[in-house]
Amino acid sequence: MNTDAFNQLDRVIHEKGRLAIMSLLAATPQMSFTELRDTLSMTDGNLTSHIKTLQYEGYIAVTKSYEKSRSTTTYSLTEKGRKAFTKYLDLLEQILKESRNKKI
Amino acid sequence: MQNDWAEEHLHTIRTLMERVALYRRALAPVMFLTGGTGILFSICGPLLKVENPISFVIWWLAAGLVAFLLTLFVTRRQALKDKEPFWSNPTRQVIYSLIPPLFAGISTGIAIVIDGTIINPPFLPAFWIMFYGTALYAAGFFMRRGMKLFGFLFVIAGGIMLIVLALLKIPVDYNIAHLLMGIFFGVIHIGYGVYLHFTEKSVDEQ
Repeated sequence: MNTDAFNQLDRVIHEKGRLAIMSLLAATPQMSFTELRDTLSMTDGNLTSHIKTLQYEGYIAVTKSYEKSRSTTTYSLTEKGRKAFTKYLDLLEQILKESRNKKI
Repeated sequence: MQNDWAEEHLHTIRTLMERVALYRRALAPVMFLTGGTGILFSICGPLLKVENPISFVIWWLAAGLVAFLLTLFVTRRQALKDKEPFWSNPTRQVIYSLIPPLFAGISTGIAIVIDGTIINPPFLPAFWIMFYGTALYAAGFFMRRGMKLFGFLFVIAGGIMLIVLALLKIPVDYNIAHLLMGIFFGVIHIGYGVYLHFTEKSVDEQ
């Protein structure tokens, strides 16, 4: 068990719900609140809570716009968020690789 | 144990990323250009007396090529404008889905040219509409904005057209064939383009 790599994993991203949000935003330029909620089958409260945490860490950017008497909120990954996500993936792969090597 | 959760996490990430990796380029301009090309070729075809199997197939393959090149130009420009790679994963998925049915349609046309088979011209648009619809339907799995439904309707329309043409036993008439091509690859595309033009932005911002 590689505790070193495991300890380096970003705890903010490691949480299942936040990891899912980061994964979606890494694959697409931006997503609306509704799209995120529907894709992940999350409750409004749960999603808002995770978004706040990610926003606080500076991992996602929030854009609010108002058009045709309707407000829309979209989310995208910041540069810091993208780097953190990439690092998280690298560490996961490293853990996997080392575990496989030990088995052999 | 650790191996299991790490693998599970990676699998979840991959699945989620693939699920949302949809083709998001604005499709309204593509529809306008394809429709415009279709209408132009359907008007010029009868005027230039494109009235035998070989010239009809070559004429419409040329129209397809023009529409394809224009689409390529517009989507590449959109990608450059958005500072995104043109040959992205969603683009690849869309192109790979389009290729087999389009190839089937093109090869059918070429086979007719090579063999010199006499085919009642209006039947050819019906075949092409079905192949094209199949291509759009397949690509629609990686696109938004009802492309799958649009493709599905083309397949149904092409199929019904084949049966109706057979039942009516219509005479050999290249003007009808050009007209059918103009309606399906021209007018309907323009109509869909207008719909997309007014809905694309608002849906993207939801």
